[in-house]
Amino acid sequence: MGLLDKFEAARAIREQLSVGGHDPTAVVIEQIISPTEGIVEGRHTILAGTNNYLGLTFDPACIAAARNAIQSQGTGTTGSRMANGSFSAHAALEQELAGFFHVDHGMVFSTGYAANLGTLAALLNQGDAVLLDADAHASLYDGCQMSGADIFRFRHNDVESLEKRLQRLGDRAQDCLIVTEGLYSVMGDCAPLVEIVALKEKYGALLLVDEAHSLGVYGDTGCGVAQAQGVMDRVDFIVGTFSKSLGAMGGFCVSKHPELDLVRYLSRPFIFTASSSPSIIASTHEALKQIRSRPELRETLWRNAGRLFEGFNDLGFETGPEVSPVVAVKLGAKEVALPFWNQLLEKGVYTNLMVPPASPDQHSYIRCSVSAAHTEEQVEQIIEAFASLKGLTQADA
Amino acid sequence: MNTRTNEIKDRIKRLLASYLETSNHPELEAHGEITGETNLVSDFTLDSFQVMEFMMELEESFDVMIDMNSLSNTHTVNDLAVIIEKELAD
Repeated sequence: MGLLDKFEAARAIREQLSVGGHDPTAVVIEQIISPTEGIVEGRHTILAGTNNYLGLTFDPACIAAARNAIQSQGTGTTGSRMANGSFSAHAALEQELAGFFHVDHGMVFSTGYAANLGTLAALLNQGDAVLLDADAHASLYDGCQMSGADIFRFRHNDVESLEKRLQRLGDRAQDCLIVTEGLYSVMGDCAPLVEIVALKEKYGALLLVDEAHSLGVYGDTGCGVAQAQGVMDRVDFIVGTFSKSLGAMGGFCVSKHPELDLVRYLSRPFIFTASSSPSIIASTHEALKQIRSRPELRETLWRNAGRLFEGFNDLGFETGPEVSPVVAVKLGAKEVALPFWNQLLEKGVYTNLMVPPASPDQHSYIRCSVSAAHTEEQVEQIIEAFASLKGLTQADA
Repeated sequence: MNTRTNEIKDRIKRLLASYLETSNHPELEAHGEITGETNLVSDFTLDSFQVMEFMMELEESFDVMIDMNSLSNTHTVNDLAVIIEKELAD
């Protein structure tokens, strides 16, 4: 078999995905009009699949901060922080993030993926054990794999399954790391962090929570699900991204453990990557300020999320277990989900399609991410578009 | 090959047959009997998610934990039996 022959399988997958007319993995938004609107194939389209939970990508203060940073500090850093130096804004943002989460230590990475890869690869070593939620994001899997640690999965959000594995680890449990997300991005369900924290304390383990989709969305001050569930101060490491609620690109880890400051010496994804550009750091700094000072953004987001969730359920669609800014509709077979997604796009609603094996089970899903920037009319238009396609799912039944 | 190894293999075969049946894999009938050489991916088109789900079922049935790193070179029922036997011995 030749080196390039393996791409035949990828070609076949692409052809299967494109059978409805559009490749769901290759949608081009020709023009961005606002956080929730764009032009796709010449059509005005509601963006309901962009993780732009607070709509801050077009926030005037964030844009001004980014513009000022470009003018005063230039377009890029042209190197890694370890080899080529940090800008003072990088260090300031690390302190800012630590303060936001009420801990002393923070670290900024160039992407959310790098944050997970870099934190886990440094925290874990060969011979360590990590217990990973089965539905955890690929970046968490990859970070664990990069570390060389022994990786054991527990059933998604299943506290009993987690405890069973802690018991099986025996003495190793007190040195193991438990890895979960706050809000899971496919079904929009939250981790039972109160119970998970109790277990990690019972067995003496450490806990890392990825708040990528929950930052800015959950908790009194927008710190995420751990804050919302009242256990943030008992979590050892919180990782997250700038590319969702914060409307930029990058990632972070914060911790009460001073060892986080040493992670940078052991983290190849931190050491060997160019640091974030000044405009990204500046707009992220401003976005954190917006999250703190404008709780009404969260209120609008939750109102929109509640309406979309209710609208889909009233139509008889099967959604996730709880209202969240991620609203997924279960569509069963890929043969139903593909035309459904295509027709939504043609009706001017952009969503995310998930088919096996990328979905958490054997079903296909269409996922909407709700934004505080969606108007009530846009939310109703999304519901109407789904309603008009209900017949496709009934044909399958 | 000792009795214990054979018992483990037989149990894996039964669990695999049951998993294929519940996860809608009609090719089981065409494949015929599951043997030690049966390849989970190429014989039954199990995708990566299904392989991981089946591993979880094995873990629960045998009351062991399977390190995900050990799966990269695990393709057949025989390969799985080696891993599980080792875990049971530890």
